[in-house]
This record gives sequence, structure tokens and C-alpha cells, in this order.
Amino acid sequence: MMLKLEKRGQFSRKFSAAVTVIFVAASFLVAGLIFEILGVRAVDVIARLFEVYLSERTLLEAALRGLPLGFAALGLTVAFKMNFWNIGAEGQIYLGMVAATGVVLLHAYYGLVPDFLVLPLMVVLSFLAGGLYCALPAFLKAKLGVNEILPTLMLNYVAYHFVNYLIHGPWRDPKGFGFPLSIVFPPYARLDTVLGHTAYIGVPAAFIIAGLLYGFIMYTPAGFEMRVLGQNYEAARYAGVRIGRTLLLGSLIAGGLAGLGGLTIVAGILGRMRPPSAYVGYGYTAIIIAFLAALNPWLAVPAAVFFGGLLVAGDVIQATLNLPFPAIQILQATIFLMIILGEFFKRYRLRVVI
Amino acid sequence: MIELVESVLVGAVASGTVFLLASLGETVAERAGVLNLGMEGMMIMGASLSYIFTNALGHGWAITAVLLVGAILGLLHALFTVSLRLNQVVVGLAFTVLGLGLSGLLTSNEIRGRIILALNPEASPAVIASQEAAKLPPIPIPGLVNIPIIGPMIFSHNILVYISLILAGGLWFILFKTSFGLSLRSVGENPSMADALGVNVFLIRYIAMAICGALGSLAGAYLFIGYQPFWVEGMTQGRGFISLALVILATWNPLRAILGAYLFGGVEALQFRLQLVGVAAQLPYFLLMLPYIVTIVTLTLLSAESVRKRIGVPAALGVPYSRE
Repeated sequence: MMLKLEKRGQFSRKFSAAVTVIFVAASFLVAGLIFEILGVRAVDVIARLFEVYLSERTLLEAALRGLPLGFAALGLTVAFKMNFWNIGAEGQIYLGMVAATGVVLLHAYYGLVPDFLVLPLMVVLSFLAGGLYCALPAFLKAKLGVNEILPTLMLNYVAYHFVNYLIHGPWRDPKGFGFPLSIVFPPYARLDTVLGHTAYIGVPAAFIIAGLLYGFIMYTPAGFEMRVLGQNYEAARYAGVRIGRTLLLGSLIAGGLAGLGGLTIVAGILGRMRPPSAYVGYGYTAIIIAFLAALNPWLAVPAAVFFGGLLVAGDVIQATLNLPFPAIQILQATIFLMIILGEFFKRYRLRVVI
Repeated sequence: MIELVESVLVGAVASGTVFLLASLGETVAERAGVLNLGMEGMMIMGASLSYIFTNALGHGWAITAVLLVGAILGLLHALFTVSLRLNQVVVGLAFTVLGLGLSGLLTSNEIRGRIILALNPEASPAVIASQEAAKLPPIPIPGLVNIPIIGPMIFSHNILVYISLILAGGLWFILFKTSFGLSLRSVGENPSMADALGVNVFLIRYIAMAICGALGSLAGAYLFIGYQPFWVEGMTQGRGFISLALVILATWNPLRAILGAYLFGGVEALQFRLQLVGVAAQLPYFLLMLPYIVTIVTLTLLSAESVRKRIGVPAALGVPYSRE
């Protein structure tokens, strides 16, 4: 008797969704097993997680914490669709934070524009900063054929040290007792003053962007070129896809959206700039979200809220169960691994040969 | 001034050994065509296990356990990427997230205490509560350590530093002078050709990943018991990814990895000392960016076809192999 792998032909979206649901459920079992082996009651942890989505207050908090992840993941749906392996969302988020904070500081010290123009300016510049930072490795790929995986990864750390330099140096609040913090953003530079809560403006904005992206990818010539490029590089070249242009445009959108995620951190969640702790892992989490959503922008938004809820639950279990935050990372990792495993079972079937 | 230079050089080797061990493992994997982006996770697992096992059973068991668990993680990675042919980037990142999470959970006070007690029922409460562990003792090599500059720089360290240097030489020999090494490189270069010539592509990739996982975790163990024996969550701080960069800088050559590792280690040691002295407060941040920028520049230079050919970049790197 032998196990044999067989390639499946086309599969329906229903089948694909069912596989994802089954494997995500299985990931809770695997994580639960790890918890139990370590002597932690898995039921407690998972119950705390689901409670997060049941109360309005914590759900709103989940949406808020999910915003930077969601914007970055929306960008990744574009990047991955054209087979551009952007692992640099974290760095692009940092650059968005820098641009947004830069506008606020310039305005606070020199008063460049009327107050009401500050927020729009922050939006535009954080998008551009993140976008250009992502376009740099795309440029190297388009012009010289440099694989993007390691450059995008390396640029995360360059951005990380750059943020730390700014916040420990020139951008530190002079009245902040030496703490590495920027000044607190004034109300006109904050997202939570627009409708009372950052999530009230952030989540609808994310859905609007998801709709625009969907339309862009499915119905415009540029979106078509991106999909062709993602399917087969060589074929795309023969089909006359303008590869360089497509890569640059797609990476500008991908990084730009991550940059907007950075904006939501400083102008929505923190209200100032603070040094990132090295292992926040926004970038990785955004990748997991993009995969969980099967690169569908519509699904990326609820998936981001789900992962935002994981972050909230991390704080809750720390306070109530005395478990460290990494317990939540284990759930993230098992969800990640199970989604990838699910992809395998979508493509292949196991058959017993006697 | 001479003292500062010497202390930076000694520090360069001390901190560079983390990069050396990890990049040696990664070199083997990448020469066989597997990109292991899970290095960071394997490294932090090694660090956390060496912390727990040293306090429970001592250094010898700690290193044994770390090598074993590292090899298992490597084999699991191979199961996903070699047998199931899943995307190496995604699997690697998942392993990194998993390693960060598991190490944090294992070292949390309650769970760590339970594990230490299970391993060694006689462990004292002070040891169980400790955030530190005994550091590996330095073993200065008699005679050699008295050579000016080079002596203290190379020959005044602990056993893992010497092992890493021997490994670099050994792996270079295996990769470039033995038939096994030739098979391994051919698997990374052109797997279907290697397969046709009777090389077991899958077996070799599994072996390479086991070595990669074991050395990656050993790098983490060195980071903790050999360099900085105070537990901080997420203490690898991207060193696994720096090691990946180093592999490229050393153009997949174990001997060149020594130079690169000490260069990166030197950057770390220098910025640390500059911070202590308080000279040029802003400079360290830019120094820390350097390894990453140098890597991107190297990758760009390597993109030229003529350079790739001459250096021998594994052509099938990152591509799963199937017989279909």
C-alpha cells in the first residue's frame, strides 16, 4: 500500500473557502495542543480570544489594532498578485509613520499650511513615503533582475534603525524628560478627532480601498497586466506586458498602503511617534492576513480585524491568565502554517494506491 | 586608543560568532537549493532552550538539546518545502513567527519553572527564578593567546567560538572537496540533472536542512550562553536575518563567511562601545544600518550574469523540485 500525490484540476471557490475554514479550525486544535502540552488550559485562552469579538468595546479596539495590519495586507494583495514578494511591509509602515510625524513636526514648529490641511498632507506623504520605499526594490528587480525577497526584508531593518535615530535624536520631544517620544499630535492631526474613533473612519476607508483595488485588479488594463505578470513572468514578457512599469506601479500601491498603515499607528493609535519594539512583526502578520484572505482585498479587511482581535486578546490573557504575549504568536504561526498546508490540499489530493 | 581597537576586535569575534554559526547553516541549505527564512525562529528557539536547559542540567545537555531540536525544526521545514513543495518564503516566515512565539511561551516564568523541575527535580528555587544562566567559560589557548592583537582576538574565547571556526573549515572542505559536497551543490544548481545522475535530491535537501536547523539553533545557544547570558524576550533581534544577508555577502562560501561574520560583529561591537563612551550619539544608528545596505548593494552587483557565473550562485535556490 502506498500514498500517492495527485494534482487536482480546477477547483471551485466554494471548495477553496471550505478548505480554508477547515484548516483555520484545525490550527486552533494544533495551537491548543501546544498549550496543553505546556500545561496551559487551551480552552481558557481560546475563550478569551472569542470574548474579544463579542463586546462592542473590545471589538472596536480589535478593529483599531487591526487597521495598520489591514492597510498593509491590502497592499500585499496587489504585490503578491503580481508575484512580487514584498516582505518589507514593516519597513514601509515605519516610513509612513516617519512621513506623517514629519508633517506634524514641521507644522508645529514652522506652521506651513492651515491646520485643516495637515491631515490630508499626512495622508498623501505617508502614502508616498511607503510607496517609494517599496518601489526601490521593485526598481532593482525591473532594471537589474535583483530578486526582491531579501532587499525588501533588509529594508525593514534600515527603516527600523532610521526611526530609532529620529526618535532618540532630532525628533525627541524637548519637554519629554528625555524619553524617546515625539510631541503629542495636536487634535487636527489625529484620526480619532474626525468621527470620534479612529476605527469609524479607518474601517470604512479600508473597505473603500478594498473596493477600488478589486476594480483596479479585475477591470483595468494595468490590473490585467499585474495578474498576467503574477501567473508567468516569461509569458508576460512575450505577451507584451510592460514589466518595469507594472512592477513600479504595483509596488507603489503596495508600499503606499502600508505607509497609510503607519499613519494609522501614529495619528490613530498612539497619537505620537514612539520607537517600535523590534519584534512587533506587523509585516509578517500582514502577510498572514493577505494569505488568509486568499489575496482577495474584500476579505483582507475582516481578516485584519480578526488579527487585531488576536492582539487585543494577547493583552487580555496577559492580564487575566498571566500568560505572556507570545502565546498569541503561537496562534498566529499555527494559523499561518495551516493556511499554507490548506493551499497544498487545494492543489493536490492524497490517494491510497494498493 | 589601542585598547579601544583591541576591545572592538575581541568583541567583533565574540558577537560575530552568532552570525558565523547561523550563516554556515544557511550556506549549506542554500547550496542545496533551500532558502531558510525561518533562521530567526530557529535561532531564538536555540537561545531559549539553552537558557532553560543550562539552568536545569548544565551546558553539555543544553547544547545537545539545542542541536537536536534545531535539527528537528530543520527537518520539519524540509517536510513542508521539499516534500510538500510549499512556498519556501511563506514557510520560513511561519517558522520565524512560531519560533518567536514558542520561545516566549517556554521562557515565561511559570512554564519555564515547570520544565526545569521536570528535567531536574532538585533544581533550587533561585535557579528556577533566575533570568540568567552560567556563561560558557573562556578557554584561552596557551601560547597562541599571547600573540599581540590576534591572540586575544581569536584565542581567548569559549569553546563554541573555536568550534565555529573548525566548522567553517570543515564545511568548506565537505562542500568543495568531497563527492557528497559535489552532490549537494549539484542539487542546488540543477536538481533534475542531479536526479538523472542518481543523486537523491530529496534526501540531500533533508540532510542540508537538518544541518541548517541545528547550526541555526546552535547560533542562538551561543548568543545566550556564550555571549549575553541574560534572557530578554526576542533577544535575537533580527540576527537570523542578518545571517541570511551574510551568506550572500560571503557568496555562499563558508571561509568567506568568517570574514563577513567578524565584520558584522565588529559593527555591533563598535556601536555598543561608542554608545558606552557617548561619542557621536547619532552614529550608532547609521552603523547598524550598514550590514543591510551592504547586502542590498551586494545583491545588486550579483545580478550581473557574468558575476553570478564566476561566483557560482546556486541556480535552483528557492525552487521546489518535483519529478513531474
